[in-house]
Amino acid sequence: MNDASRQDATEKARRKDEQLAAILSCGSIAVFFLWYWTGQIQSVIELLRLAYG
Amino acid sequence: MPASLLGPYSRTILAAAVLLITLGFALSGARGEVHNGLLPFFEWLETTWFGVAGKTWGAVFATVQSVHLLGLALLGGAVLAAEGRLLNVILTDTPRELVCSRCNRVFDIAMITLVATGVFMACGVAVKIYYLPVYWYKMLGLAAGALFHYFVRNPVLAQDLENVNPRLLKAMAVASIMVWFTVAATGRWIGFSG
Repeated sequence: MNDASRQDATEKARRKDEQLAAILSCGSIAVFFLWYWTGQIQSVIELLRLAYG
Repeated sequence: MPASLLGPYSRTILAAAVLLITLGFALSGARGEVHNGLLPFFEWLETTWFGVAGKTWGAVFATVQSVHLLGLALLGGAVLAAEGRLLNVILTDTPRELVCSRCNRVFDIAMITLVATGVFMACGVAVKIYYLPVYWYKMLGLAAGALFHYFVRNPVLAQDLENVNPRLLKAMAVASIMVWFTVAATGRWIGFSG
């Protein structure tokens, strides 16, 4: 493998790594967001039920 | 160099490690111990010049808070403009790279403003926020958002966007809006607590 193709392969691997890290991070943020706000909405529903139920 | 030690997927491995460490910290007893250990630090914050000024002169606190809110508006605007462009909702006649790079500059200024004014405000009400769970969620969101923005999103956007899967760009835009919305909402919640 010559220098140019080795550099190209390294560059491709780096791009793939960055994109994989992005997929992992986006999934984690989505899980955190849904977990947090679902909990808050449930608390509000519970409060409304206590107040008016 | 750590990146070369971890092989070609160093960034992915580091992201997974940060996630696992955060989960382990949140689910173990270490969280409670660290929380208890931080109380003297928060008590000390209130005795600093910032803390005394924030508690003594309401006008100073209100003025700094107004700058903090302007920083929040700036950050929200930068996020919505850049992510709206990545989602092809706004500024569709302007190249994505241009919109994102300009918004990044505004984002950096907003972050500096928010952190500087936020530290001052935190000193004035340090013990109060120490006992507020929502403050810790905000810090978690802020840390996650900053790490995501500077170490995940920006490196992907620095690539030639034609080589990036459009779904990934949209997913990053949605994730960015989610995390900064949470930071802003929890921040305002602190203002209305106690």
